[in-house]
Amino acid sequence: MTKPNRAQHSNAVATAWQFTEQVPHGRELGMQVVSVDQGQVCMRLTPQSWMFSQEDTKEICTSVLYSLADSAGGLAVFAGALELMPIATLDLRMDYLRPASGDQALLAVATCRHLTDEVAFIHCDILSEGNRELLATANATFMRNTQGQQFHAGGRGKESA
Amino acid sequence: MSTTGDSAQPISGAGESGKECPDWQALLERIPYARHLGLEVQRGDAGVLVHLPCREALIGNFMLPALHGGVLGALIELTARVAAQSQDTETRCPRILDSHINYLRSAKARSTFARADIVRQGRRTSLVQVTCWQGDENKPIATGQVQLLLPTMAAQQEDRHGH
Repeated sequence: MTKPNRAQHSNAVATAWQFTEQVPHGRELGMQVVSVDQGQVCMRLTPQSWMFSQEDTKEICTSVLYSLADSAGGLAVFAGALELMPIATLDLRMDYLRPASGDQALLAVATCRHLTDEVAFIHCDILSEGNRELLATANATFMRNTQGQQFHAGGRGKESA
Repeated sequence: MSTTGDSAQPISGAGESGKECPDWQALLERIPYARHLGLEVQRGDAGVLVHLPCREALIGNFMLPALHGGVLGALIELTARVAAQSQDTETRCPRILDSHINYLRSAKARSTFARADIVRQGRRTSLVQVTCWQGDENKPIATGQVQLLLPTMAAQQEDRHGH
């Protein structure tokens, strides 16, 4: 697997990367940023039994894939724009192609397909790590430069330095 | 079930009887991830609601703070799944095929509620529309449409022959 390459990036991508890894829900699910390369983001999630969709199967709940796609998509906006500004998910559409086995880690590969001053169009594939089988695809639209406090990855509710 | 703070949603208006409510809670409790999120069923005159209690681990943006978009995705998908399953005479476990969620307002760090409307319950599929709100049901924070597949023997045979 590619070693994390955060240090090689522009400040904007490095800060967005750091921000993504600090998100409480991402931390709870154990999401990790694997790489950001030429506008493409790769994130990873190791399944745990409380993420399953039924007691008697080891299938990961689709909603966990959804969360991973939303997080990877958000980071892909910054990977595409190379500029820090608050963003918000406008909509996200997921297609669940195959059941996701709890035996294998999930990988999310997100790319920014098109960027305007106001919106970013993102595509994300969710794969199983072992056999690289495509489990789900997502298309999301993010609003850029939304109202809110300034972007800051260092802590809670503080103004950006 | 807690009835303090904003975790008990006042419900107005007439609607369905909500007689499936006990089933909803039982169906939710069979889903490990729904238990982890702490989803609970509430019932009133206007039907059945699913309540997502807020906790810090559900935050997606700690500067606002706001709930993670994926948390609303989970609330919508799991509400849709339980709604579709409760409508099925055999309570077959549906498989989520796709979901499309629109985010309408910022999701604050507080209790969130979801209501499901079955758009179409077919023999093999179910399409469910889910609305989420916080505080005021007339100001939804997200809506989603979820398409689910209900497993049938006939469908399995058709799939084997390919279409």
